[in-house]
Amino acid sequence: MKGAPHTGEAMLPDGHLVEPQAGDYEHAKAAPTDPHWYKRAVFYEVLVRAFHDHDGNGAGDLAGLTRKLDYLEWLGIDCLWLPPFYASPLRDGGYDISDFRAVLPEFGTVEDFVVLLDEAHKRGIRVITDLVMNHTSDQHPWFQESRRDPEGPYGDFYVWNDKDTGYPDARVIFVDTETSNWTYDPVRRQFYWHRFFSHQPDLNYDNFEVGEAMLDVLRFWLDLGIDGFRLDAVPYLFEEEGTNCENLPRTHEFLKRCRKVIDDEYPGRVLLAEANQWPADVVEYFGDPAAGGDEAHMAFHFPLMPRIFMAVRRESRFPISEILAQTPPIPSGAQWGIFLRNHDELTLEMVTDEERDYMYSEYVKDPRMRANIGIRRRLAPLLDNDRNQLELFTALLLSLPGSPVLYYGDEIGMGDNIWLGDRDSVRTPMQWTPDRNAGFSSCDPGRIYLPVIMDPVYGYQAVNVEAQSTSSQSLLNWTRRMIQVRHQHSAFGLGDFSELSSSNPSVLAYRRSHVSNHDAGDDLVICVNNLSRFPQPVELDLGEHAGGVPVELTGGVHFPPIGELPYLLTLPGHGFYWFQIVPPNTGREP
Amino acid sequence: MISATDLLADIADALAAVLPEQRWFAGKGRPVHGVIPVRATDLAGAEPRLVHAVVEVDQGEQHRDRYQFLLGVRSDLPDILGHAWVAACGDQAVYQAIHDPELTAVLLDLMAQGTTVEGLRFAVEPGVTLDTEQRSRPVGAEQSNTSLVYGQTYILKLFRKVAAGRSPDLELHRALASLGCKHIAAPLGSIEGALESVPVTYGMLTEYLRNAADGWAMATASVRDLLAANLLVEGAPGPVEQADPADVGGDFASEAHRLGQAVATVHTDLATALGSAPAPAGYLDAVADDMHRRLDGVLAQVPELSPHEDALRAAFDAVRGLEGPVPVQRVHGDLHLGQVLRSVTGWVLIDFEGEPMVPLATRVAPTSTLRDVAGMLRSFDYAANYLPLGDDDPEQRAAVALAWTTRNQDAFCDGYAQAAPDPRKHAVLLHAFELDKAVYEVGYEHSNRPLWLPIPLAAITRLTTTSP
Repeated sequence: MKGAPHTGEAMLPDGHLVEPQAGDYEHAKAAPTDPHWYKRAVFYEVLVRAFHDHDGNGAGDLAGLTRKLDYLEWLGIDCLWLPPFYASPLRDGGYDISDFRAVLPEFGTVEDFVVLLDEAHKRGIRVITDLVMNHTSDQHPWFQESRRDPEGPYGDFYVWNDKDTGYPDARVIFVDTETSNWTYDPVRRQFYWHRFFSHQPDLNYDNFEVGEAMLDVLRFWLDLGIDGFRLDAVPYLFEEEGTNCENLPRTHEFLKRCRKVIDDEYPGRVLLAEANQWPADVVEYFGDPAAGGDEAHMAFHFPLMPRIFMAVRRESRFPISEILAQTPPIPSGAQWGIFLRNHDELTLEMVTDEERDYMYSEYVKDPRMRANIGIRRRLAPLLDNDRNQLELFTALLLSLPGSPVLYYGDEIGMGDNIWLGDRDSVRTPMQWTPDRNAGFSSCDPGRIYLPVIMDPVYGYQAVNVEAQSTSSQSLLNWTRRMIQVRHQHSAFGLGDFSELSSSNPSVLAYRRSHVSNHDAGDDLVICVNNLSRFPQPVELDLGEHAGGVPVELTGGVHFPPIGELPYLLTLPGHGFYWFQIVPPNTGREP
Repeated sequence: MISATDLLADIADALAAVLPEQRWFAGKGRPVHGVIPVRATDLAGAEPRLVHAVVEVDQGEQHRDRYQFLLGVRSDLPDILGHAWVAACGDQAVYQAIHDPELTAVLLDLMAQGTTVEGLRFAVEPGVTLDTEQRSRPVGAEQSNTSLVYGQTYILKLFRKVAAGRSPDLELHRALASLGCKHIAAPLGSIEGALESVPVTYGMLTEYLRNAADGWAMATASVRDLLAANLLVEGAPGPVEQADPADVGGDFASEAHRLGQAVATVHTDLATALGSAPAPAGYLDAVADDMHRRLDGVLAQVPELSPHEDALRAAFDAVRGLEGPVPVQRVHGDLHLGQVLRSVTGWVLIDFEGEPMVPLATRVAPTSTLRDVAGMLRSFDYAANYLPLGDDDPEQRAAVALAWTTRNQDAFCDGYAQAAPDPRKHAVLLHAFELDKAVYEVGYEHSNRPLWLPIPLAAITRLTTTSP
């Protein structure tokens, strides 16, 4: 970390490390005030390394991402989610953080990040990033001090013990690489606790100072102007004998402490909890419903994604209907994050016995579904590049309850490179143009961090932003249009969800309804999706809205008014409709 | 105001005229000589007025069935109810009140209040509180009943043909609900009464499974997907390999497996609630005799069945000599894919009325659960062969159907065996029930849908050439 400010540049007389302070940097201008922006937002997960290379060294950087903000604004993105860009030895994709207050040099500097924030905010785009609270890299100066000086200020920052027998009920999560949650440190001559890799020691949250230090990390980035954090691996913060050391009450207490800092000092910023668990358990991370939620503002709904794939494969709505029926209500201030693809995935360990049986019978025995759950693929290749299905899946993502998270490149239907292996197959450079290196970098092609996709179907010469932005029929322009429509209707982000019954098992229909405090803001949207590749009729019971007129949202066409009888629609294979229901004779265009 | 009884007498002829148009009327095809009022009861109001009526339909000595009507009376019938008009009575219009939400709401009110009107008992099941604000609409086109859905919450089934004796549907729903069975729609209320001192059931209110699809729609969606996969294969250059139903996206086997579990659970609960015992002496002979009798009847009408006569009689006679106890109990009685609903919480069995054409005493008699299993196995075969796709190559089409049928029948039995004894352990009896059902289907298709006759005939060929 030579040349850049970093943790541990100097040490105070009491043994504390000197850490960079937010006051050392310029601060980005804040995003506009909007307490519930995250409920309406369309998120976009972007890997800094993969998006745009500004300095021409073959890997993407913060400055490159900044230069592509115009594109993201044009697309209609409201918030970027950046996986970790902190200093790291990169033994776990950057989730092994060796300095919470420094940027990985290949990505740029803290100053570059502030510029990114500032430019994003100018365009109405917010930025959140991952923060790993549970552990650090073993290269973090805190850990180095902790092993060196057990009596020093960091001596109690990690979970040390003379024996490796504590907390026997906590499972080993990475069973492929780790045999125990304890590892012996020859320097300190004690064992340290780690729920993940042995090079990622767990922080000791029993030590109040650790919590304070982590809150100061939050403040550091929040002061610079960041809009929120996705908190990684939150269920594991505390340990207690006689428990499985997951989801402990004190973990929730600590999250409430984090939330209080946000609410008191940084209103409008958000916390997104990563708890890869069943929805009924995840809702605990939203906190007290009576307070509208007093822990995380958002959490991912993990099981929905595989259920969407399953439903379309089975041509049956039940995989989706069931999981939504099992999803408990969430506090008024909370919101799900939903996705089709991201770098996280559902694992069979997280589910109930009954659900495991279901997943096993429906999923694991089916080679295609197994591929989709295990190996990381992009959306387009998973759907055989079928435009109808790509549109149906995107329409579901943009209309089911929750804030949608797009994965970079999926908006143009990018492919993957399975020969790069599990992790990297979906991390290839963003395809901007048909030029050298797909317009991602001006470097020598041999120097690029991963080769660009070059096959005839998904290769950058066929699939790129430049070509698609000029074609009105492209997936990119279609996606942009659908995001626009979503933004025009508060029901998608803020509305209630209720499934509409129909006797056709291949058609999934639901109502999104938002009743606003002021009269003009009410919004009622009906979404009808044909999960089958064949044309289907459906009769919907819309009796409640008798007299209303469905107006199709992409074209504004008025459909016949709703009567007392079931409303008949026919859908083409994998077709869908979004309707706004308007009162008769208003002629209001969407 | 004219009395309900006089009103009914006044419009009896008009009812005779509209009866043959009613889908639920069982006497279609026979002339209606007359409609004789049995009873009429005012349930509500003067404008509009609601009258509950029971009539006897005279279609000759052998055919005197009773039916219930809900009649609305208004001096001014709105256009929207025009299609429900039955007759004029004085200056008033009499119409079928099931189409009038204002009047059907009265039924819910009466049940919620637990009112008895002239022997008509409206009641809720123990512990149930009804939301009486729900508006109703009639649903679907059922063979023998009329159902009203209230809001998205309740469904009221009105038994149109009034049979002497309490409805097995209501009886079995109550028995299963008492055990907390998850595989039924919870019973919530009833309309009962008596005719000539014999109890009768007029209606049953249950929870409405608002987002359910029936098993037939689910199964045919799966078959459609498999056929499409094979149509793709057919057009491909090079050697043709049939698509395996296990490999295509629309595979139904895990649903069939869960369905098997649900049916077995219902059977087990019925045995717990209403008893199960070894079959009495003579049961198997009676079963075999019954099968032979049905075969006699169908053989007389359908010559295409004769080549199979010997094999069928042998399979039926094999039942007589079965050893070991055969347990008998109450069963569903008319189980097929159209009688099961997939809800968001799993499979639900509906309509425990039994076969509508069979006398009540027979429908409520304990019998083997294998009857239900056989009904479902036959239904899988129908679902596989029903869609008119891929007929260019009938042999290929049949092979695809058979692959689907076999896979899903096996999955169903596997699922069943997880909650009750494996039905395949009683292969001889199961086989005979399947063949008996297929013989019935041959008769039915011959008279009603000759195009479908090959489905049960092919099944009989297949079942009689594979030993149980």
